[in-house]
Amino acid sequence: MDHRITPVTAGLAAFLVRRLLTALVFVLIVSSSALVLARLAPGDAATGSSLQTSQTQLDATRARLHLDRPVAWQLADWFGGLARLDLGRSSLYDQPVTGLLRERAPRTAALASVALAIAAAVALPLGMVTGAKPRGLVARLVTPISLALVSCPPLIGALALLWLALSTHWLPATTGSLAVPALALALPLAATMERLQSQAIADALAAPDLLAAAARGIPPTRLVWVHAMRQSLRPVLGIFGIVIGSVFSGSLAVEWVTSWPGLGRLMYDAVINRDVFLVTGCAFVGAALIALGNLIADLARAVVDPRVQEGL
Amino acid sequence: MRRSTVLPILAALLVAIGLGLWRRAGQPTPSAGDGTPVSGGRLIATFRTEPRTFNRFASPQAAEDLVARLTQATLVRLNRVTGEIEPWLATEWSASPDGRAYTLKLRQGVTFSDGAPFSAADVQFTFRALFDKQVNSALASSLLVAGEPLGVRVLDETTIVITLAAPYGPGLALLDAIPILPRHKLEAAYLAGTFRDAWGLGTPAADIVGLGPFVLREYVPGQELLFARNPRYWRRDERGLPLPRLDEIEVQIVPEQDGELLRLENGTADLTTSQVRPEDLATLRRLESAGRLQIANVGVGLNPDGLWFNLAPGAPVAKDKPWLQRDELRRAISYAVDRQALADTVFLGAAKPIYGPVTPGNREWFVADLPKTEYDPARAKALLATLGLSDRDGDGLLEDASGRPARFSILTQKGHTILERSAEVLREQLRRVGLTVDIAPLEHVAMLEKFNKGEYEAMYFYIGADSFDPARNPDFWMSSGDFHLWQPAQKTPGRPWEASIDDLMRRESTTLDRTEQKRLFGEIQKIFAEHLPVVYFVAPDVIIAMSERVHGATPSILQPPVLWNAETLWITASRR
Amino acid sequence: MSPVRARVTPLACLVVLAIVAPALAPERPTEQFADRTYAPPMRVHVRDASGWRAPFAYPQVLEDRVMRRYGEDRTRPMPISWFTNGRAASIPADGGPLLLLGADSLGRDILSRLLVGMGRSLGVALAGALGGLVLGALVGGWAGSRGGRVDHALMLVADFILVLPGAYVVLVLRGTLPLTLSPAAVFALLAGLFAVSSWPHVARGVRAIVATERARDYAEAARASGAGSARLMWHLLPAAGGFLLVEVVLLVPALLVAEATVSFLGLGFPEATPSWGTMLQEAHNVTMMAEAPWMLAPALAILLVVFALQATSGARAQNLVAAISSRS
Repeated sequence: MDHRITPVTAGLAAFLVRRLLTALVFVLIVSSSALVLARLAPGDAATGSSLQTSQTQLDATRARLHLDRPVAWQLADWFGGLARLDLGRSSLYDQPVTGLLRERAPRTAALASVALAIAAAVALPLGMVTGAKPRGLVARLVTPISLALVSCPPLIGALALLWLALSTHWLPATTGSLAVPALALALPLAATMERLQSQAIADALAAPDLLAAAARGIPPTRLVWVHAMRQSLRPVLGIFGIVIGSVFSGSLAVEWVTSWPGLGRLMYDAVINRDVFLVTGCAFVGAALIALGNLIADLARAVVDPRVQEGL
Repeated sequence: MRRSTVLPILAALLVAIGLGLWRRAGQPTPSAGDGTPVSGGRLIATFRTEPRTFNRFASPQAAEDLVARLTQATLVRLNRVTGEIEPWLATEWSASPDGRAYTLKLRQGVTFSDGAPFSAADVQFTFRALFDKQVNSALASSLLVAGEPLGVRVLDETTIVITLAAPYGPGLALLDAIPILPRHKLEAAYLAGTFRDAWGLGTPAADIVGLGPFVLREYVPGQELLFARNPRYWRRDERGLPLPRLDEIEVQIVPEQDGELLRLENGTADLTTSQVRPEDLATLRRLESAGRLQIANVGVGLNPDGLWFNLAPGAPVAKDKPWLQRDELRRAISYAVDRQALADTVFLGAAKPIYGPVTPGNREWFVADLPKTEYDPARAKALLATLGLSDRDGDGLLEDASGRPARFSILTQKGHTILERSAEVLREQLRRVGLTVDIAPLEHVAMLEKFNKGEYEAMYFYIGADSFDPARNPDFWMSSGDFHLWQPAQKTPGRPWEASIDDLMRRESTTLDRTEQKRLFGEIQKIFAEHLPVVYFVAPDVIIAMSERVHGATPSILQPPVLWNAETLWITASRR
Repeated sequence: MSPVRARVTPLACLVVLAIVAPALAPERPTEQFADRTYAPPMRVHVRDASGWRAPFAYPQVLEDRVMRRYGEDRTRPMPISWFTNGRAASIPADGGPLLLLGADSLGRDILSRLLVGMGRSLGVALAGALGGLVLGALVGGWAGSRGGRVDHALMLVADFILVLPGAYVVLVLRGTLPLTLSPAAVFALLAGLFAVSSWPHVARGVRAIVATERARDYAEAARASGAGSARLMWHLLPAAGGFLLVEVVLLVPALLVAEATVSFLGLGFPEATPSWGTMLQEAHNVTMMAEAPWMLAPALAILLVVFALQATSGARAQNLVAAISSRS
């Protein structure tokens, strides 16, 4: 047994290192582009108060924020700071960017986790039922709704849920509550997962080895809940990594509509106020999260299927 | 009566009395239906932005101003309802004959919130730090007189002299903007050259010491600021009872106006600092009739909307449209717009048509009998005809002499719903006299960038005033000013009437006689009405809403509308 | 009807509706009726005291401007005339505007704006999606059939575009473009922007499918017989057909919403030309949502488009898996 593991782990380790390096380069390129774009956009952090402050004051602010230096200089400055784990200072909040990110990121993470949890808790069991009994009552009810919700943009979902909350008071509609934003994110996620799970169960049940198991006399419920589920885990796990990225980008719109104080909201405020370092910091975190999600997904697939390692 | 029946009846009575007492105990503050102020309780207010520092001198933003108004005190206070200057930390004052020096006597027996005594040394330190070049305070740049900082001389422990570089019309009203800071807490930072960074957001609340009615108790970033009564506050009310009346003020940070409104509606906030929007009035009035809210229309505000054109002579946008920079175009637009329809459509009637930069809300300075351009589309068309614009092809729209459509673009701010809606109404109104207008909404910073670079034809925006006295706003009136919207920062006045206004303004701000000031400013308004460099349409009413628990409010049209005088507020009944 | 026809028909209907809809608008979409701000939808009656009648409506009367109270003038029933005066449905002029879906904050007819905006918004979303599909199919097909370094590099470019803060690109674009753009220019710009931002999703999915196909026997045979990469790609692409159809389902609603976000940053259709995106921005007002829910009509319209597109694609989960896996 042992001599079979060593080449597998060695290949896996090399794969991991290659992917990590790629991910790192990717994150750095994205952050740099965000910084360059932020500088290129019309106006800067000082322009926002130009109808209330004198020209000399504006010039002084620009000098203080190093906005009078060339873009290349500011890029180098940011990289230098990155080496010290310092992402610069936000011009909008006058605080270190790392502090702001550390404060807001958990809120988006909380939102994302709750949305994922709700989606998984609802969708996976439902998917197993609709997959095992595609012509049953549950399947006939759930499938069309699911299909519709798959491509329902989170913004529309958030608006609809807000309206529901305000007119029926079944959900809390105040700024601090998690209910509306989490549900808005969870709905399309749940629909996707349900459809995937359903198809995966159906495929697994039709697979020859399960037929053989049935022929051996294993009862049908056991077939579904144990054997088929194990088989269906692979495609579902496969998308879990990518789901992180999709939730992050969906959360921007949802956070804006429901005033949830997370990363999405922070990014929006940073963009509007031309806060160069904050935008770069948010892009950095966003890229890191997506790269992480992809990495985990690829790793999971590579562990299960060694053929994947050589392709990348 | 048999003993066996007495006991149960007694027990029942006792229980009933107990229940009654218990219910009364659930309401810690007795309700005072007769209007007598009571002490105690917590007020919850909402605010739209967060402070970036607790150092008022380092930042001119609204949140920092609010914190300073609650925790600090000034030498004199400008009463925002009456417009009069009231003695505050200074009890009396006199002006020198030439108006360049004011002698003030300071109040005795006043201590800071940490017990340290207040003296002239604190005033001197405050002024030194405020006007220090290294500190480079944004607040200071709005407090210069004739371009020079104010000077302060200490005569003795209780008397100071404030010196100005030139006689200044608004006089001591300037001092309303200067909170007196504690020398014993901030001098070290000042001497070390780090005053700007002092009292940042990470400062422990106990270090933020002041002479104001409240002290900062706690700051939760992104969520709220908690203020508690300053037990050492020196002011008393008219009955001699100590102020402030409230135990605590909780300021919640709610960035969206919708969020503020929701909290007000469901009772989790007592007061919002944003004004009520016209479309929210219906919901709020319903709550008002249910007895849950009070709505106060404080009157016409100071912030009218304004449309101006880029009048810089070399502006590329005007090369092929010379009629764009002519006075007649602006007069025609002023006649063409039905201001009442604008007030009704966008503000649901809660706005007043105005024809000049000073609104009726500015009671001291508003001149009612100026020439007005009331709604007269025929006259507008006639004026446009004098510019050579007429309908040459019968499509209802005007063209110029070479057949090009009379068309221009108006820059405005995206996301400011009232502004966008008003711009749409304007567009429609101008179409009716044949002018084709494109509304170009850009988001805030991009819009300002276009303005700063002069890359626009016309702009439509809200021109805010943060004080009543026009002399506090010289950058708008003077042709050399940075906010001389239609052509800022001119080296010499480009037009004779601008030169007249410059001259009148200079005289107005150096005259100490209020009557003369008003006469001169009336002249300026006449010139303005004649040439209309900015066309004004409506001034919205200031409407504020508070819960029914709040009493003692003295709402003003300036920001913050209620919390500027937080010490006299009191609340009744416990929270729902 | 063959399965393909059955699936394409709802999509075709949508396209036809988008072209025809503007002609169906009862009022001019930019006309502001000063006495109809936030007016509720007018009710169409078919019965009155004397029994069944042709459809008619009572004129709206503004009772209280601030409280937004409207009543009906029951003394003057106005019959609805169809296809007269160049309008699909109208009532006599003295009855005021025919507001079948109510009016917005400036008193403009929501139904008319919805119909006229439909062509614009749907058009931009479809054009962008189509551009994204074509571009994505080409890039993904190339990456999948070549494999190796080319594949890896192309997918990195795709990831890069996915993660870039699109808001900044929009702002930079807005800053460099002239202040007023014609609706046609905005249309082209938005369609281009959407195409560029959607091709990465498509490319990843197509690449995955093509890469799997490449390993199959017929592809090996083609390569053995000397087919170049381009020729190979041409053979392999049709396998991704079902996936591409599914991607339309996912892309179009997302792009409809993107139109709203982008126009909020300043790069949208001018206010004068109605589009679902600009209408959605107004609907965002939380208080109005409960009080004037007819403002949410564009959100409902987008949902209906979603349903229609779902019916088109059939959404076989296998294609859906590939589609979802390429989303990021």
